[in-house]
Amino acid sequence: MTAEIRGRRQWPLPKQADPAAPLLRVNNLQTHFQLGRGWVKAVDGVSFGLDDGEALGLVGESGCGKTTTALSLVRLLPSNGRIRGGSVELFGIDLVPKTDRQLDRYRWREISIVFQGAMNALNPVVQVRRQIAEPVQYRLNQSESASLKRADELLDMVGIPSRRLGAYPHELSGGMRQRAMIAMALACDPAIVIGDEPTTALDAMVQAQILVLLEQLRRDLGLSLILITHDLSVVAETCDRVLVMYAGRVAEEGPVSRVFTEPRHPYTRKLLGAFPNIRSDRRTLETIPGEPPDLVNPPAGCRFAPRCAQAMPVCAGTLPPEVSFDDGVRVACHLFGTTA
Amino acid sequence: MSARYLGQRLLQAIVTIAAIVLLNFLLFRLMPGSPERILLRNPNLSQQVVEATRARWGLDKPLIPDQLVSYIGSTLEGDLGYSFKFRGQPVTSVIADRVGPTLLLVGLGELISVFVGIAIGAYAGWRRGGVVDRVGSGVSLVLYSMPYFVIGMPLIVIFAAGLGWFPTSGMTSVGGGDRPFPDNIIDLARHLALPLATVSLGLIGQYSILMRSAIIETRSEDYITTARAKGLRDGRVLRAHAFPNAMLPMVTLIAINLGYVIGGAITAEIVFSWPGLGTLTVTALQSRDYPVLQGIFLLVAVSVVLANLAADIIYGLLDPRVRR
Amino acid sequence: MSAARASGAPVSGAPVSGAGKAGRWRLRAAQLRAFAARYAGRADGMLGLVVLVFFGILALAPELFVGPLETATRASAHAFDAPSAQHLLGADDLGRDILNRTVHGARISMTIGLMATVITLVFGVVLGLVAGYSGGLVDNLLMRIADFFLVLPTFVLALILAPVLIEVVGADAEVMGIRATLLVIIVVIGITSWAATARIIRSQTLSLKERMFVDRARVVGVGPGRIILRHILPNVMNLIVANAVLTFASAVLTETTLSFIGLGDPFQPSWGQILNGAQDSGAAGLGAWWVIAPPAVSVVLVILAFTLMGNALDDLLNPKSRVRR
Repeated sequence: MTAEIRGRRQWPLPKQADPAAPLLRVNNLQTHFQLGRGWVKAVDGVSFGLDDGEALGLVGESGCGKTTTALSLVRLLPSNGRIRGGSVELFGIDLVPKTDRQLDRYRWREISIVFQGAMNALNPVVQVRRQIAEPVQYRLNQSESASLKRADELLDMVGIPSRRLGAYPHELSGGMRQRAMIAMALACDPAIVIGDEPTTALDAMVQAQILVLLEQLRRDLGLSLILITHDLSVVAETCDRVLVMYAGRVAEEGPVSRVFTEPRHPYTRKLLGAFPNIRSDRRTLETIPGEPPDLVNPPAGCRFAPRCAQAMPVCAGTLPPEVSFDDGVRVACHLFGTTA
Repeated sequence: MSARYLGQRLLQAIVTIAAIVLLNFLLFRLMPGSPERILLRNPNLSQQVVEATRARWGLDKPLIPDQLVSYIGSTLEGDLGYSFKFRGQPVTSVIADRVGPTLLLVGLGELISVFVGIAIGAYAGWRRGGVVDRVGSGVSLVLYSMPYFVIGMPLIVIFAAGLGWFPTSGMTSVGGGDRPFPDNIIDLARHLALPLATVSLGLIGQYSILMRSAIIETRSEDYITTARAKGLRDGRVLRAHAFPNAMLPMVTLIAINLGYVIGGAITAEIVFSWPGLGTLTVTALQSRDYPVLQGIFLLVAVSVVLANLAADIIYGLLDPRVRR
Repeated sequence: MSAARASGAPVSGAPVSGAGKAGRWRLRAAQLRAFAARYAGRADGMLGLVVLVFFGILALAPELFVGPLETATRASAHAFDAPSAQHLLGADDLGRDILNRTVHGARISMTIGLMATVITLVFGVVLGLVAGYSGGLVDNLLMRIADFFLVLPTFVLALILAPVLIEVVGADAEVMGIRATLLVIIVVIGITSWAATARIIRSQTLSLKERMFVDRARVVGVGPGRIILRHILPNVMNLIVANAVLTFASAVLTETTLSFIGLGDPFQPSWGQILNGAQDSGAAGLGAWWVIAPPAVSVVLVILAFTLMGNALDDLLNPKSRVRR
């Protein structure tokens, strides 16, 4: 499977790549932001992997660090953000120690991003097709005309009619802009596409179309996808695995089918309970009392403990270890401390 | 840019100019005894001219509408009346004589400062907190706080009186303009150096401060993150993405400033006795030469309105979002 | 004096409304303390404040430093005497002591700046509030007028207005103890710079008008005048304060420039007036730097101080601080 998909690549792997290594392996990632009063530990010890052709959903409340986690992969952080620990191994190459200049080799060509709200993510004064052609021209060193031709092909592929080729961002509808954004993300034929809430700003009908498009492209092109969302139904429909984050740490991770049917972490259970599911039942929505902790001085133990109905004395003082189960699920909760 | 947008701006400009003409009319007619008194006070006019003017302005008729109509009529014909100070010359020719030197000085100053100021501001904003930013922004802020005469006078003390490199005032030496080429140009350049430095320094402060904040604002936009995510070189992100967007507010500012070019950098001209519209303004002011003052105000106001119109049009061309 | 005004006005972050009088004042005092703490953390703002306090003291009591005004307007040395022990900053073309004149100039320059700022703010704030609150035709009309004034080359207009006004009131007239020439400068600055303030206040009023607490007051039957005074004005105070500081800077700049051009009062030494004398006597060409440097440095320091403070206040008080000017 791995070799077959890598064989489809039109561009060679980076020189230092280890062909046998997994596509992506993130170990104990710590991304913090400097604020006046200290470091905000937005991502604090997150680990996960991603295989070729796999779709991973990153879910959690806003502010839990899911976007920061994804943007840390290619270190797209605001100026006060630092990766202060851990590793991000792409084809076995650790990207964390690389300089920005070195990292440019991996940005977009290996890992590209479909940003949320494409209105702001697209440059308002540049034609959309030129923005799509730009990485082809400057990263793959194609001629301007070849790049524009590629851009037009990509726009066709995502279903933007050819008469809209000369459009500026504001001339396209929200759904069209998101399609253009997807076309842009595919421009350099990357190994991994990160979707940062790609459908949040769209209405339900268009959301569905964009998700179908993403899914189809993923299968056709053999992409790996990291989908950041707070919409659990999107994860259920498009992802193979799901990673639930809470306050900068992994709460639970595993195959979607397992985690959604048998959530183990109390937070995952609450999250699933808080989500309206029109298909299954009509019980009242659950809410989670309290607020996420202050990430400058997070609680010493489990970060969910202050809001957890099942908290035990141990939860307040000790970080719960991550426990792996046979069905591929990994949980960080003291409830399962003894079963491992 | 749609015809509608263009039409709206055009209409706005016309209405504004009409309002300026009206203001100009009222301002000088509501003064005690004007313009009758002013007309008679002018010693340089012969009785015939006074009679002719009085008849044309219709001073015996009511202020509105008769006087206003004839005022607008003569203004449209380019007749702005006669100067008190300059031996009864028509205002238009008094002003026309001074336009050249001002355009040379302030136009060149604008050109230099647009390039230098924007380059410094863009670099300082892009590398916020770097050496260029710290030094450049400090200097810009100080320059921005200095009126032209406060920049110009020390330049005279140091480079003219102290070092003797440049003349202290005027545009030519005695007979300098009549010397054969290239001596006349060199003479002009030596006279131009200090006033030009004054105007440029003042404008560089303004442009670099505004460009810096425009770049800083742009830098935090999502599309800059997108450009960085594309793995583009830093310089390309600045040139292709941050710069064009940051220039949008700058274009407006530059165009509007160009409107003021015609009014001259008044105090800079005074300090160096540069024979432009600025010194003319002050001369007219000191001798209470109202027709000339009125003419200058009209000229500057109209050129500012036209510059505003130009700014709107250029903005519409640069920013595809403008369609209204 | 100006320093105390600039930072001493009530400053509120959250809408101030509803609570009882005592509670409201307690809340204001707490907000003010919190704000002062944040302002103290701004190095640029504090630097501006220190410079301003220095010139504020000079302006309040010039006699304490260099003796009464008469000593500044009378010759006490030879023409263009260089700095010496008797005359620390030398003398001008009429043998008047420069240090003396510069210190007294602080009072005139800052007084005119302050009064012009007050006029600008009163016009700008009142018209902005009225336009924003009433909306419709009144708003449209006022804003068209404001736009007109924004487009006008105000400085050239000021040059024309000043002699016209002097002609109207007469050069030697006095209004409330202020000589007409100075008064004209104040009025001219006010007339030509209220529009920007009005625009800012109007847009803030527009958004406040839609807020809950205003609606509540309206439903309860509170009249428009009272709503504007009690509910909207306190909440645009922070904008007014930030705007006032920047307006003050440009007022001092305009006053200095008008005086430099010769529209000032020859009997009252302002910094622009001293520089006007230097220009007329050709001090720069003679290399008499001591006539130019003291008033010039003072002007730049004061404007710089106001600009620094204004920027700091703008950053702290404006939720979404925009590009300046």
